[in-house]
Amino acid sequence: MTSYRLASGGLVDRQSSLRFSFDGRSFAGYSGDSLASALLANGQRLAGRSFKYHRPRGILTAGAAEPNALVTVGRGGRTEPNTRATMQELYDGLEARSQNRWPSLGFDIGSLNGLLSPFLGAGFYYKTFMWPAHLWERLYEPFVRRAAGLGRATYEADPDTYEKCWAHCDLLVVGAGATGLAAALAAGRAGARVVLVDEHPIPGGGLLSDSATIDGIAAPDFARQAVAELATMPNVEVLVRTTAFGWYDDNVFGAVERVQKNIRQPSASAPVERLWRIVARRALLATGAEERPLVFGGNDRPGVMMASAARAYLNRYGVAFGRTAGVFTTNDAGYALARDLEAAGVDVAAVVDTRADTNFAWTGKARVIPGAFVSDALGGKSLSGIRVWKDGATETIAVDALAMSGGFNPVIHLACHRGGKPVWSDEHAAFLAPPRLKGLALAGAAAGRAGIAVCLEDGVAAAASILSELGFAARPAKLGEVAGDIVAGPTPPVWRVPGVTGKAFVDFQNDVTSKDIGLAVQEGYGHVELAKRYTTNGMATDQGKLSNVNAIGLLAEARGVSPAEIGTTTFRPFYTPVSFGALTGAAHGHHFQPARKSPLHGWAARHGARFVETGLWYRSSWFPRAGETTWRESVDREARNVRQNVGLCDVSMLGKIELCGADVAEFLNRVYCNAFAKLPVGKARYGLMLREDGMIFDDGTTSRIGESRFYMTTTTALAAGVMNHLEFCAQALWPELDVQLSSVTDEWAQMAVAGPKSRLVLQKIVDDDISNDAFPFLAAREVSLFGGQLHGRLFRISFSGELAYELAVPAGYGESVGDALMEAGQEHGIQPYGVEALTVLRIEKGHITHSEINGTVVPADLGLGRMVSSAKPDFIGKHMLSREGLTATDRPQLVGVEPLDPRTSFRSGAHILAKGAAATLENDQGYVTSSCFSPHVGSTIGLALVKRGAERHGEEILVWNGLRGEFTPGRLRDPVFLDPEGERLHA
Amino acid sequence: MPDMRASTRPALAGKKPLNGDGVSMRALPEGYVVHLLGGWDAELSPLLNELSAERRSVRRAAPGQWFLVGDEPLSRAEFHALEQRLAPHASCVDQSHGRVRILVSGPRVERALSAFTGADLALAVFPVGTSTTSLFGHIAAHVTRVSDTAFELMLLRGFAESLWEYFAGTWRVDSLPPAWPAKRSGAER
Repeated sequence: MTSYRLASGGLVDRQSSLRFSFDGRSFAGYSGDSLASALLANGQRLAGRSFKYHRPRGILTAGAAEPNALVTVGRGGRTEPNTRATMQELYDGLEARSQNRWPSLGFDIGSLNGLLSPFLGAGFYYKTFMWPAHLWERLYEPFVRRAAGLGRATYEADPDTYEKCWAHCDLLVVGAGATGLAAALAAGRAGARVVLVDEHPIPGGGLLSDSATIDGIAAPDFARQAVAELATMPNVEVLVRTTAFGWYDDNVFGAVERVQKNIRQPSASAPVERLWRIVARRALLATGAEERPLVFGGNDRPGVMMASAARAYLNRYGVAFGRTAGVFTTNDAGYALARDLEAAGVDVAAVVDTRADTNFAWTGKARVIPGAFVSDALGGKSLSGIRVWKDGATETIAVDALAMSGGFNPVIHLACHRGGKPVWSDEHAAFLAPPRLKGLALAGAAAGRAGIAVCLEDGVAAAASILSELGFAARPAKLGEVAGDIVAGPTPPVWRVPGVTGKAFVDFQNDVTSKDIGLAVQEGYGHVELAKRYTTNGMATDQGKLSNVNAIGLLAEARGVSPAEIGTTTFRPFYTPVSFGALTGAAHGHHFQPARKSPLHGWAARHGARFVETGLWYRSSWFPRAGETTWRESVDREARNVRQNVGLCDVSMLGKIELCGADVAEFLNRVYCNAFAKLPVGKARYGLMLREDGMIFDDGTTSRIGESRFYMTTTTALAAGVMNHLEFCAQALWPELDVQLSSVTDEWAQMAVAGPKSRLVLQKIVDDDISNDAFPFLAAREVSLFGGQLHGRLFRISFSGELAYELAVPAGYGESVGDALMEAGQEHGIQPYGVEALTVLRIEKGHITHSEINGTVVPADLGLGRMVSSAKPDFIGKHMLSREGLTATDRPQLVGVEPLDPRTSFRSGAHILAKGAAATLENDQGYVTSSCFSPHVGSTIGLALVKRGAERHGEEILVWNGLRGEFTPGRLRDPVFLDPEGERLHA
Repeated sequence: MPDMRASTRPALAGKKPLNGDGVSMRALPEGYVVHLLGGWDAELSPLLNELSAERRSVRRAAPGQWFLVGDEPLSRAEFHALEQRLAPHASCVDQSHGRVRILVSGPRVERALSAFTGADLALAVFPVGTSTTSLFGHIAAHVTRVSDTAFELMLLRGFAESLWEYFAGTWRVDSLPPAWPAKRSGAER
């Protein structure tokens, strides 16, 4: 195909050719390629531009840590920026574009930033843009914002679907390399429920790139056989293309599966990504190790690559990363690559080994230069040579590719997600996971071990240990003899390379150099957390997977301490970026949140209700009629009709709790601040619940429907809160009381029938006598309906101030009873009314809701001080209620508010100022808690909490809406605007 | 108004059973659901066993609490008889209209439900007769395994339609991998 694709080898399917494009140019690759391997195969080394200096960048890795080759994939709503070319599987028709360049990747004007690099060092954000101050918002911030970021997200809607899913297992194995496969096999054979996740499309990890054999089988074939065996086990699930991104409480792991990111046109019958929550009794991290870059001049030039990546492209994808290669290594991994390169026919010019005393028995053709360093990589947009420093002398060697290996950092991120800090190990020359993790173990390279044989054994042993803890019988098993493996054991780290002249990058993505790290120390930002923020090292999308440990090493060197003393920054989820789509799953659009519907929802809809979401409930807001052009017209009509005739309102959303037991009366007596102990059977009572601090918690009516059975209503908003509160009281505060609770909110369809003709209407369907004598105000009883066809609960209570009832019937009967009431009330002018009219009616009567019960008021503030029992020995809130601050005379108190000119208006939330006072917060006297237009008063009216309000009735004030700049002269008054004697209520 | 007829409307009226690849869902008849509140009365256990022996379905709801469920409505007389039978060891609260039951079944039912709930529904750890309460998406439901391949979900009436639509609109059983780590031949929890 191209000169960089080897004639044979690799795991790609050479019979399946795929077309793709990069920056509009058409290329071909094979099935099994990554975008990165296909680009390399086609000789496309330049893959992106760096963030700050717009330096040309090539492909550095073959996996998740890739900092350079970030591209935008797809088009339209499927546009996905910042995709790592190393993780993107190639598919036919893939469209990729480079980022952060203009006008083109090859010629990028932004690269002029490099000329300004002396001024753009660490902390330049904090040293510049300081003056003149007024330019910050106008010039600097827009400029910085424009320069920020890499790829651009699309504004088009994502056409695909996402899914969230749960899984449970005895053992979760993260990583399907040698260690993970061995562990999964051992656990699977023992019968444990196993989930094995791996971020790549093919399990095998490093085995897929290795030329060693296991029991005489090539390493990739061994991996394939292991996966085939796992596939036969019904107790084992292997999830590929799945990245475990976080470890959370209760041993729950988050993982994202890229279900359809490897095809051009995803199927609508499957999600493109699936987010897994995996609940594991135990987990084993077999995540391997990340090779550490070396920090030398020009180490970012296209053509410089991690040695393990070069080996992956060679052995897994059949792609040579250059024609004449150099290897710069601190350990034996460089020799494994050099051996494989030469075996594949690639010329290796030199192996530059930092160890003067290396005793590796190299038998290849390449020249080995011990005790030497690559001080600089030479070239422009592609590597042309390297300068080798040895004992103060330099030598230039012509190469077009350089592999580097600075040792290995165990991938321990997940092990540190729950607060544990990595621990530096001099023996391993690396940070290891914190010890004694509960429910999580590490094995293989993730635990600092090296070599296929050791990792296989370690995987089996770790699994056996875990299985033993879980009670499974598992025997350690040997998985075969390993041959041809070059084991790269730990070697002393090399943080600083001598003889460097060019920019030596530590963080490739954020363009942080070794000089920047030094500058941070010089300027007092040597603490690892400060250095991170000052230099931005590790703050890019790769989160410093390649750079953090080198930065720590350089900080340690600059400060003359051990890396152990420097420590690491905090590890947090996510290990790699997770899309918002995956996090959202199906919970968007229609399924964004549940809809809770009243049993009368269909009835209300048939009467043309406009619904409003209150919490999750859909409440009837108003019922427009033909000819009404505004909601106010409808609401005014509905409110007038209740006062003149009769209205029907769905109040099923009120919280309803049934309390059973011999001690419920005593229980309620302690829960409410007013007396309930002697509430007779067949009676309802309005109650106020206080919090322990004396503030009002909730209100509602409670009816005694049997000697040991009560029916409580709560506000809609606090139904669950009151239930929780009562459960706490019953279970924790007074377990000696015989009280049982059951939420019956959904059991009953409850209808308010309100208005002077309500009794006439109700009597048509209620079999019992409900005359004023037989069923007086606050009566509450079970009644027979429709000649005994049905039984319901009838309460003579009123939120409107009118003669009114609330009728509760089993929810399934709600609609038919609603219909029956409408039919029965037709001759009396019955109309449905919604929550807006309900609000008007209650404000006219000065009744409170949670607009007034705002968490800072006590009963006296709302004119309900007389309800507080002084006779009861105790109730919740009693003692704190007598605090000095809660009895102060200047507390806000409930008042009514009306405009002096009825043609003017004001809004809820507006503040109250004394007449003539300046509009300042210092002069604030209180605020309007509720307001509406009252068709009966003929103007806007409101309720307000105003300092000393009860004694200021009649005072002229100014209603101030600071947000809208509105001022409305008004007057404070009694909060009851209508029928203050309550005559209509008792009709 | 004796000529008026009171009729009941099921919460999931009009929702036709859904059938997918290896999983199906249908609304169960709105018969009866009685919330039994018994606390720690030791004498209640034999009574519950009696009820089970009478082929009434008893579901554990919470410590000291159970749901008694059935497909046929209970008359007032039957309900009062039940109250009398359990008194004074337990109180009965009628939830026949407050709770809606849905049957989800099929050979891939566990896998299908795993997209909605964090409860471990594997047969080995959640055998027939086991109940728990869990969130299904954003909606809480009481789930009972009623056979090797079927679960009963019981939830608040007000959320029934929403949960049904959530299931119907979002599950993609066809896309689920066929295997699932379900067997456990080693130690049980």
